[in-house]
Amino acid sequence: MSKHWARGALSTALISALLLAGCGSNSEKGAESKNTEGSSETTVSASGFPLTKDSITLKMFTRIAPVNGAFKDMPVFQDYEKMSNVHVEFTEAPTDGFQEKKNLLFASNELPDAFYRSGISQLEATRYGAAGQLIPLEDLIEKYAPNLKKLMEEYPEIRSGITTPEGHIYAIPGIVTLDAARTDKKWINQAWLKKLNMDIPVTTDDLYNVLVAFRDKDPNGNGKKDELPMTARAPVPGQGLPIVNMMSGSFGLDQQLGYNINLVNDKVEIWMGNDRNKEMLQYLNKLYKEKLLDPDMFSQKEADYLAKQSSGNTGFFFDQTNNVFMPIKDQYTGIAPFKGPHGDQMQSQGAPIARDFGAFAITSANKNPELTMRWIDYFYSDEGSTMLRFGREGENYEMKDGIPYYTEAFLASGDQGKITPYAGGGAPHLISDKVASFINPPQVQEAQDKLTPFMPKVRYASPMFDENTAQEVNVLRNDIDKYYEEQSTKFIAGALSFDKWDEFQSTLKKMKIDKLQDLYQQAYDKMKK
Amino acid sequence: MKSTQVRTNAALSRKIPGQRGRVWRQMVKRSDLYLMLLLPIAWYLIFHYGPMYGLQIAFKNFNPAKGIIGSSWVGFDHFVRFFESFYFWRLLWNTLAINLFSLLIAFPISILLALIVNEIRSKTFSKILQNITFIPHFISVVVIVGILNVFLSPTTGPINSLIEALGGSPIRFLEEAGWFKTIFIGSNIWQNMGWQSIIYIAALSGVNPQLYEAAKMDGASRLRRVWHISLPGIIPVIVIMLILDIGHFMDIGFEKILLMQNNLNIESSDVISTFVYTTGILKGEYSYTAAIGLFNSAINLVLLLLVNRFARKVSETSLW
Repeated sequence: MSKHWARGALSTALISALLLAGCGSNSEKGAESKNTEGSSETTVSASGFPLTKDSITLKMFTRIAPVNGAFKDMPVFQDYEKMSNVHVEFTEAPTDGFQEKKNLLFASNELPDAFYRSGISQLEATRYGAAGQLIPLEDLIEKYAPNLKKLMEEYPEIRSGITTPEGHIYAIPGIVTLDAARTDKKWINQAWLKKLNMDIPVTTDDLYNVLVAFRDKDPNGNGKKDELPMTARAPVPGQGLPIVNMMSGSFGLDQQLGYNINLVNDKVEIWMGNDRNKEMLQYLNKLYKEKLLDPDMFSQKEADYLAKQSSGNTGFFFDQTNNVFMPIKDQYTGIAPFKGPHGDQMQSQGAPIARDFGAFAITSANKNPELTMRWIDYFYSDEGSTMLRFGREGENYEMKDGIPYYTEAFLASGDQGKITPYAGGGAPHLISDKVASFINPPQVQEAQDKLTPFMPKVRYASPMFDENTAQEVNVLRNDIDKYYEEQSTKFIAGALSFDKWDEFQSTLKKMKIDKLQDLYQQAYDKMKK
Repeated sequence: MKSTQVRTNAALSRKIPGQRGRVWRQMVKRSDLYLMLLLPIAWYLIFHYGPMYGLQIAFKNFNPAKGIIGSSWVGFDHFVRFFESFYFWRLLWNTLAINLFSLLIAFPISILLALIVNEIRSKTFSKILQNITFIPHFISVVVIVGILNVFLSPTTGPINSLIEALGGSPIRFLEEAGWFKTIFIGSNIWQNMGWQSIIYIAALSGVNPQLYEAAKMDGASRLRRVWHISLPGIIPVIVIMLILDIGHFMDIGFEKILLMQNNLNIESSDVISTFVYTTGILKGEYSYTAAIGLFNSAINLVLLLLVNRFARKVSETSLW
C-alpha cells in the first residue's frame, strides 16, 4: 500500500526516458543531415565583435551551483550578449540531480544547442560522440577558436587529454594553467601548534603525534575535549575516497591517468591491491580508531565539512583555497606532504591542466556550430576570463598592476558567487594567475609553494578510449571502483579486519583488475607515441 | 457484493443468444459511466502499456541517437552481465530479505493494531491511538531520514545519550551494516502501521455484532472472541492485502534506502532499485539497467502468481 511512491519514482524516470527516446528516433535524420552539411544558417564574422550581424539565440543546458544566482542576471552574460549579438537561453539544473537530468536529455535525444559547464565524462563524450549526438570540434577549434588553439599549442597535454583515439574532440575542458587551482592544500592549525609548542609535522608519524596532542592537550584552551584533530571531505559514490587521494602520496601511491595508478618506467600499475595501499589504510584506520580522524567523515554533508573549516576548532584538513576560513585565516598555514614510512613524499592528488573535462560541448541539434565555437572561445582569453570571473570593472572589480581584484565594497556584499558561473566549479574558461587574485591570495600561494616540489613532473589526464574499449573499461570499473570504495571505507572505519586483505586482493583479481591494467597500459602507450 | 451481481448479470446476458444488442443498448444507456471509464483506460494504455514497448532495449545496445528501433540487438548479453556481476547475489539477497522481513514483521503488526483499536472500549482513547499511529504516514521520506539522522547520531542523538547514560558505548546505527535493516524496517513500521490498519479496522466494524453477543452469552473470554470471531471475520481482507503487498514485493522504499545509504552500510542496503538508479540514470547505462529492471519484475510476477494461487487453494480468497 505504502509503496506506490517508491515504485513511481524510478519507473517514471525510466519510462519517461524511454517514451521520449521513442519520439526521438525521428530527429535522427536531422542530426545526420546537419553533420554532412556542415554549413551554418547565420554568417559568422571571421574575427572581432559582434560575432554575427543578425542577433541569434542559442539554447544551452547548464549546471547551477548553490552559490550562484540565475545565469541571465550575471553581468558577464548580459555584457557579452551586447558584445557578441548572441543571446543565450540557459536551462539551469541544480547540482543535485544534474547528472540525472543531463543523462535524460541524451537518452531522449532532446538536445540543447550546447552543454555549458556540463561535467561530461570521458566515457560520455565517447559514447555520445560516437552516437552522433555531440559533434566533433577539432576543425571548429582550428578555424574559430584562436584562444583555445593557442593554449593547446602551449600545453600539448591538453590535446592528448581530450582527443579520442579516432582523433576527435567531442568536448572542451576548463583549462587551469595555475598550479594552485589544481590541488588541495594541506592546512594545519598553526595557532594550536604554537600553543602546544610543537613543530610542523614532517613525517606521517609526526602527524600522528601532533593529532594526538590536538586531541588531548586542549589546544583551544576551553577546558573541554572538543577539538576535532583532522577531517576530510565525504566520498561521492564512484569518485574515490577523498581521504585516500589526499594521503596516498606519503605512501608512494600516485594518481596518474586520473585513476589509482603508479607509473614506473612506463609501466602502468594499478595499486589498489598493493601492500603500500594496505599500509596507508592501516595508518588511516589507526587515526580513525583513536578518534583523530573525523568520525563523521563518511557521512557528513559538504556544508558540515565547510562549517568545520571555518569553526577554527579543527586541527588539520584539505582544501584548494582559504576562502572558506577567510575570517580566521591566520590560524592556519599550508604545509608540505608528509614523508611516509618508506620515505615517500609526494603530492599525488592533483588535476591536469585540462582540469574540468567536458565543460562545454556542442550538439547535433546546433544549427550554428561555428558561431557557438567563436562564442565560447572568448572565455579562453585573459580578457574574457576576467569578464567571466570578475563581472564589471568599477562595479565588481578594479585593476591593480594589470590584475583584477574584487572591490572591497563588492566583496563585503557577499554576492561574489552570484555574479559568476565559475563559483561552484567546472565552468569552461581559462584560469591563469592573471585572473585568480581571489582564489589564489598570498596565503594560498605560499601553501602551494610547499606542495609544488613534491608534485610529479607530468600529470597525465584520464586517457580517451575508443568506443568499445571505453565500454569495456566502464564495465570493469563499475564493479571495481564500487568494491574498492566500500572495502577501503570499511578498512579505515575498522568494520573490516585487515585479516581479510588477501580476500580483498583476490576479489580484485576476480573482478579482472589485471585486464583493466592492460587497457590503461595500452592507452598510455598510445599517448606516449 | 454489488460488483459480483453486475458480473453475473453480464455473464448471463452474454450466454443468451441474440441478446448482444441488449448489451450494447445498455452501454449506450449508461454511456456516462463508460465515458468516465475512458480516462483510466487511457491512463493505463499511455503510461503503463505504452512504455512496455521500450522494454526491448533490455535486449539491445540502446543508442539514443538511433532510437529504440534503430539500436542493435544483443540478445541476453545484459542479463548475463548482471548474473555474472559481483553484486548480483548481494543485490538479490538484500532486496528479498528486506521485503521478507518487512512482510513477516510489519504486516502482522498493523493487523494487531487494528484488533487492539477494535477492542478498546473508550471511544476517545481509541481515536487518540488511531491518530497517533496514523499521523507519521504523512511525513515525507526526506524528513523521516532527517529525523533518523538526528535521533541516531552517535554524538548528539538522544538514543545514544540514553545508551551512554545506561553505561553502554554509543552505536553508529546508520554506519553499521548490521543495523540497517532493523532501522529501515522499524522506521517503516512506525510510519505506516496506523495507515495500514485502517482497512482492517473498517473490516472489523463489518463483523456482525450478534456473533459477539452470542459468544459472550456462551462465556467466551475476550481473547477467545478476538481469536474466533474478529480474526476469521477479516481473513479475506488480510489475504487480499497480502496479495497486494506481494505485488510490490520487489520494489521497496527506493528513495528512503538511497537517502540512508553510505559506504559503511551499503553491504546490507544495496538493493536492485538503488543499483538501477545509480548505474542506469547516473551513469547512463540504460540497456543494462533495463535488463535488471525486467528481471526484477519477472521475479515479482512469479511471486504474485504463486501467492495468489496458494491463497485460492487455502482460503478460497484471491484476486482472480
